[in-house]
Amino acid sequence: MSDDLETKLRRALRPVDTDVDLAQRVLDALNDEDASAAHRSVRSRAPRWHIPVALAASIAALAIVGVQWRHHQYEEEGLRAREELLEALRVTSSKLDLAYRIVNSDAQPDSDNGGA
Amino acid sequence: MKASPTFVLLALAFCGNAIAEPAALLKLPNFDSLADKATESVNITLDASLLGLAAGFLDASDPDDAAVKDVIGGLKGIYVRSFTFDEPFAYPKADVDAVREQLSGPGWQRLVEVRSRKDQADVDIYMSVIDGKANGLAIIASEPHEFTIVNIVGSVDLAKLHKLEGQFGIPKLELERKDAAGD
Repeated sequence: MSDDLETKLRRALRPVDTDVDLAQRVLDALNDEDASAAHRSVRSRAPRWHIPVALAASIAALAIVGVQWRHHQYEEEGLRAREELLEALRVTSSKLDLAYRIVNSDAQPDSDNGGA
Repeated sequence: MKASPTFVLLALAFCGNAIAEPAALLKLPNFDSLADKATESVNITLDASLLGLAAGFLDASDPDDAAVKDVIGGLKGIYVRSFTFDEPFAYPKADVDAVREQLSGPGWQRLVEVRSRKDQADVDIYMSVIDGKANGLAIIASEPHEFTIVNIVGSVDLAKLHKLEGQFGIPKLELERKDAAGD
């Protein structure tokens, strides 16, 4: 029983030849690790100038959007004021016209009588 | 500390202007009850700043817009309340009387008072005059289906307003044609 186990262990732990490209794969893995370490290092350094630039860009974008929004609002208010002005002048003129028509229609029979 | 006579005169002149200017500005009632029953309401409040803003959106190269710009040049405010009804409606007398009371004050003169039994329409036109200069206009017009109050603050030139006839839906007053026919 123990001989059998020993035989199995020997078989399992027997030295075997490595793959031909093992060395290459190990080297590749090492290179990959170096690259990711370098990337991590870049990322750790990035905030030093990326954050202020991103902030400045955001502020500039917000300012541009704000200016455009205010311009749009100014334009809308201006056009609304223009329409209201024209409507106010139309109403005023129509009431002056009404007064004139009444005065004129009242004066009309008199002038007709005068003429007859 | 004694105020110099010049300063006092300047202050009085300034106060005089400050008091004189709003004289043509009427306190218009809310007319909420009318607005609820009206099929169409026009509620326009254009103070000096809004008039200035509107003027900025008038194209001076366009003759029609230029004429409007000319009319509003001396104005400090235009206030319009106009209500149209489907059926004849009794206007709140108290509100209208409150406006008429302001128009009976100093400075206001009634230019025109027309009553038409045929059209069942009343139109009163008032002018505010200070130091011989017109600085305001008020119109109260009531018809069976329409009630309107207009208050214009500033130097109003009716002749300039007349120039706008036929433009922007402003009706033709036909004053010149009638006058010409009369001649």
